[in-house]
Amino acid sequence: MSGPTLYVVLVAFGVVVGVASGLLGVGGGTLIVPFLTLAAGFSQHAAEATSLLVILPTAIAGSLALRRRGVGDLGLALRFGVVGAVGSVLGALLALALPADTLRIVFAVFVGVVGLRLARDGIRGERPAPEG
Amino acid sequence: MPSRLQSLRLDPKLLAIGAGGGLLSGLLGVGGGIVMVPLLVLWAAYSQREAHALSLGAIIPISIAGIATYGVAGEVRYGTAIALAAGSIVGARIGAGWLARIDERLLKVVFGTFLVGVAVLMGVHG
Repeated sequence: MSGPTLYVVLVAFGVVVGVASGLLGVGGGTLIVPFLTLAAGFSQHAAEATSLLVILPTAIAGSLALRRRGVGDLGLALRFGVVGAVGSVLGALLALALPADTLRIVFAVFVGVVGLRLARDGIRGERPAPEG
Repeated sequence: MPSRLQSLRLDPKLLAIGAGGGLLSGLLGVGGGIVMVPLLVLWAAYSQREAHALSLGAIIPISIAGIATYGVAGEVRYGTAIALAAGSIVGARIGAGWLARIDERLLKVVFGTFLVGVAVLMGVHG
C-alpha cells in the first residue's frame, strides 16, 4: 500500500480502533501495533511510538464523550491513571531485566482465561460476587 | 481542608490496580485497559460500564508517561499518526456513545471475546 490508498485505509482503520477504544475502555495499541508492523511494514519501535501518539487523543475524545453522557468519573480516572503511569514506567524498566517471552505466554493465558470468564458471566447474566 | 484531602485519596484497591496494572502493562508492552478493566470488574467489583470509563480516562496520563519515557519524537511517523487519529477520534465518540447505552451483559461478552482474541494474538505473534 502507498500514497492516497494507504491514507484512506489508515483513517478507516482509525475509526475501527476508536470505536473499540471508546466501547472497550482500552487504548487501542493492541490493534494499532500489529496493523502497522504487519500491514504497513513499520518497525516494532516506530509502530509503538506512532501508536502512543494516536492513543492519547483517542482516549481524550472518548473520555470527554463519556463525561458528557454522565458515564464514569473522569477526575477519579485521571488520578487512578497517574498511579498507573508510575507503575507503567517501573514495569518498562523491569522488562529490560526479565525474560519477556515467557512472561508474554503466561500473560496471554491469563488474559484468555479472564476473557472467557467475563464472556461466560455475560452470557449467563451472573454478576461478580461483591467482596468486602 | 480535610474534606478536600479526603476527596483526593484513592480507594486502596484502585491504588493497587493502578500500580499493578500499570506495572504489567509497562512490563509486557500491552495497553493498560486490557489489564485494568478485568481487575476493576473481577476484583474491585466495578460494573463493566464504569470499569471501561475509568480505564479509558486512566489511559490519558498513562499514555502521556509512555510518550515521555520512550522519547517517541525520533520514531513517530507523523503522517500515519495524524491519519489514524483523525479516524480514531471520530470512532471514539461513536464507541463512547455505544458504551453509554449498551446492555451490561452484552458488554461483558464483547469485552471477553476481545480479550480472548488478544490472548490468541499474543500467543501466536508473541
